[in-house]
Amino acid sequence: MDLLDLIDLVQSIADGILFGATYAMLGIGFTLIFGVMHKINLSYAAASVGAAYASLLLMTGVSVPAPVVFVFAALCGGAIGLVVYVVCFRFIPRANPLATLMSTVGLLLLIDEVIVHATDGGAKSYPALFSDVIIAAGAFNLRGDLMFVFALGCVSMVVLLLLLYRTRLGLATRAMSQQPLAAQLCGISVDRTNALTFVITGVVGGMAGAMIGAAIGVLSPLLSLPLTVKGLIVTVIGGLGSIPGAIIAGLLVGGFENFFQFFRGVSERDLYVMLLLFVFLVFRPGGLFAPAAGRD
Amino acid sequence: MDFYLGMIQIIGVHTLLGLSAYCVLLTGQVSMAQAGFFAIGAYVAGMLTVLAQWALIPALGVAGLMAGAVACAIGFPALRVKGLMLVVATVAFGEAVRLFFFNFDYQVARGEIKMGPHGGEGFRQIRYFPEHGWSTLDVALFVWTVVVLVMAGLWWMDRSRAGAVLRAVGEDELAAQSAGINITAVKVSAMTVGGVIAGLGGGTFAHYTTHIEHIQFGVVLATFAIAYPILGGLSNVFGTLLAVIFIQGFLVEGLRFLGDWRNLLFGGLILLAMNLRPRGLLDAKAVAALRRLFPGGKERSGAQAHGAQ
Amino acid sequence: MFKLSAALVAAFAVAGLTIAVPAAAQERTVKITGFGAKTGVVRVFGINSEAAMKAAAEEINRTGGVKLGDGATGRLTVEFLDDRCNAEEGISVVRRIASTDAFVAVGPTCSNVAESLFGILQKKAGDASDTGLQFPIIADVAAKGGLAKISEWSFRNVPSEFEMYKALFAWVKTQHPDLKTFYGGVEKDFAHSNATFGVMKAQAEANGYQVLGNTEWLLADTTFSTQIREMKRANADIVAIGAHPASTCGALKEMQRQGVKPKLLIGLTSSSSIETLQGCAAQAEGIIIPTSFAPVTDVAKKAADQVAKFNGSADLHSAAAYEVMFILKQVIEAQKIMAKPDTVAADRVKMRVGLAALKETDGLLGKIGRTPDREAIKPFLFVHAKGGAWTVLHTPAGS
Repeated sequence: MDLLDLIDLVQSIADGILFGATYAMLGIGFTLIFGVMHKINLSYAAASVGAAYASLLLMTGVSVPAPVVFVFAALCGGAIGLVVYVVCFRFIPRANPLATLMSTVGLLLLIDEVIVHATDGGAKSYPALFSDVIIAAGAFNLRGDLMFVFALGCVSMVVLLLLLYRTRLGLATRAMSQQPLAAQLCGISVDRTNALTFVITGVVGGMAGAMIGAAIGVLSPLLSLPLTVKGLIVTVIGGLGSIPGAIIAGLLVGGFENFFQFFRGVSERDLYVMLLLFVFLVFRPGGLFAPAAGRD
Repeated sequence: MDFYLGMIQIIGVHTLLGLSAYCVLLTGQVSMAQAGFFAIGAYVAGMLTVLAQWALIPALGVAGLMAGAVACAIGFPALRVKGLMLVVATVAFGEAVRLFFFNFDYQVARGEIKMGPHGGEGFRQIRYFPEHGWSTLDVALFVWTVVVLVMAGLWWMDRSRAGAVLRAVGEDELAAQSAGINITAVKVSAMTVGGVIAGLGGGTFAHYTTHIEHIQFGVVLATFAIAYPILGGLSNVFGTLLAVIFIQGFLVEGLRFLGDWRNLLFGGLILLAMNLRPRGLLDAKAVAALRRLFPGGKERSGAQAHGAQ
Repeated sequence: MFKLSAALVAAFAVAGLTIAVPAAAQERTVKITGFGAKTGVVRVFGINSEAAMKAAAEEINRTGGVKLGDGATGRLTVEFLDDRCNAEEGISVVRRIASTDAFVAVGPTCSNVAESLFGILQKKAGDASDTGLQFPIIADVAAKGGLAKISEWSFRNVPSEFEMYKALFAWVKTQHPDLKTFYGGVEKDFAHSNATFGVMKAQAEANGYQVLGNTEWLLADTTFSTQIREMKRANADIVAIGAHPASTCGALKEMQRQGVKPKLLIGLTSSSSIETLQGCAAQAEGIIIPTSFAPVTDVAKKAADQVAKFNGSADLHSAAAYEVMFILKQVIEAQKIMAKPDTVAADRVKMRVGLAALKETDGLLGKIGRTPDREAIKPFLFVHAKGGAWTVLHTPAGS
């Protein structure tokens, strides 16, 4: 392998890590729902992509600056998050995790169908911010827009951690996830807390969806399923419930993807990512930042 | 008539897929890997009948056994984790199998045509049924013989100690372990049985669609596999059958007259079903109620309903 | 007295009319069922095919309908069923159609459905030991190479990508003699893209271009930086992309980002649709794609307008569906198909024989040839993306 190949390899890995920032953003929401709330919501990625699609409605006929579209996507995400809570979790008794799993699957199918019906299945161009900013670092080029996504991810992480550990809502959420009955007895409203948390994770998801659309350049209905799988992988590798873990895992997965692709080509790339995950699960099931051991 | 027989075939094969997930769900594990075992069964059976010119039943048998063997091998590492982690681990495994077949190329020349799996293009011309003069009725009867045998086997197992042990592990692992049950052995056995059933289903699937490719065995199929038992209820095997009839018969074919709305209703009705009947269409209460309809069932159903809840 | 004779005349007139009217207005409804994907990412294909079939039916009915075997006039109606691009469902749908009085079905959209579907048909017509379905199917969209030869009951009206790219590269050679090297990008996990890219590469080689290699991605891929970097390193004059609009746009946007500007850009036939322009009109500027439909002839323009009336858009795929309706009319009339409930089996055989016997059919861009393999040889032209719209670049002679 000569120098040119080596440069290409490092550049590839760097590109992968940067694109992993989008997985990281999605992973944050996933890990919150799965790790903190202990709810399996398989429709999360679809809802995020759906929120990004919804934000495109803002652009019909009018030229709107990209940041406004992103904010609108986040708001739509919040709204969809509330819908997810009411439709999938509110009315199903807590003792039926399988039922909520299946209901989120139903919602995933529904959201996908709504997107396909509204857009007739075609790819839609998505506005991007800083898409032409390329930061040159020696022989390497780094995508400015992806660094922005990474920065946004870090900011979200800080905001969410503050929310979880410094506010009453965060306290209520953590209490509910650890001991729901006791939390109720303390006067915490199950409904309100859950609904608010879903809205917040929805906002994060909407932003993630917008960032993914901006990073790829187009939105396509093909995105939901692969993103769901990636989000799950990132959550598991990062550790259920750990937000910094989700970010690091997102970057890792992005980097490894490109690493495998460089050596083994695109047909075998995903195979190795799956094997990587399997290895992780066998040797370090708690993920990178395993949550504090307690009653399961 | 052919149309209804075709539907019966589809319902049969999907019931096998659902039952393979049902087995594993009984032990409280959600396995998204059944589509992977289904794929293994499909490719193995297809290759045996097309490339090695085997008869159908031995080919299916080997397909089932191979899928079961892989399930057993996977079971040990996978079942070390629980809950969401298991979902992800099995998704990863299912995808790994699919990607394996995406890259799998094994062609044998027959005259001037090359037959066999051809990577991304799939495995075409698995024409055992038409070439050996099987009519649609023959195939439907064959599929349902397999299904009935599997259902009978599972029903019998449910009534025996094995079923009780499985469900005990599913209900409360700690208690089961305290009672002296070897959790790992039980879970891996359930996974293996599920793998065998999925392999049988996959082998049949390959033969009645005549063409298989990796895309068919992805996350969507895996989701359907667990959807059937969850939607149908885990009380007994008929729940899964009912769910398959509901989804394939009603949602897919019955709602055709709704045109475009059918697909929107698909997700919507699953949502509704889960909200209205969280324990499945045929949950313990429904089974008890059905029992009361039969003579002599009243006393039994009373005790069962109380016990099952 | 006068009143009585008037009444008698009136009575005779009425009687006469009642006897005469059924004999003169002998009309039957002939239902043609199409099927394809109206769900998922390929939903637009089903919508367009349905619109095209209905538009063609309306045109045929307007110009006198179809002449049936017993002299009656057939008025065509179209029904379209959704197979969701799923092989099992496609088989179900065709069995459903075969259980009605239909003597032919038009579809499917997706090549994987066609593979399974043509596989369950009887392989050789008249083979008593083969219990495959005996029902003729003519495909409008499923474009993967070599499908029609699976069964003698399967036919297709899709363009031959081999011919199109052969002509394209030969023409490019004459227009741009300075270009020497070729590099490709291909969507590896989509059978149609993969197969067509193979054709592109072969034709580039056959026309003397030096193939520097190719890079690969998957249908649902979201990042193309490694692949485009490989493309950049190769620095070829001509870049051909064998991918559908979603990943084509992703790749083109990455090319813009990395400053990769080949002298000539060639695309996949299926990407010559409005979808590519909706996704990345700016980046797709100048891409050349061979296609078997553009509103350049009078019939083509008229067909495009009619399809639009039925809420579809005319592109190479839906135009094929439009043409298929006229092919069916041609065969119904040539084989004297009766389209009656008691002649179903005979009609199906006649339809198969008729389709197999065709040497030439009418297309929207000119005459379409038929091959012994039950495929079509369609006239084609080259379009390129200019200013957010597809415009005709060149019409090859004899096309």
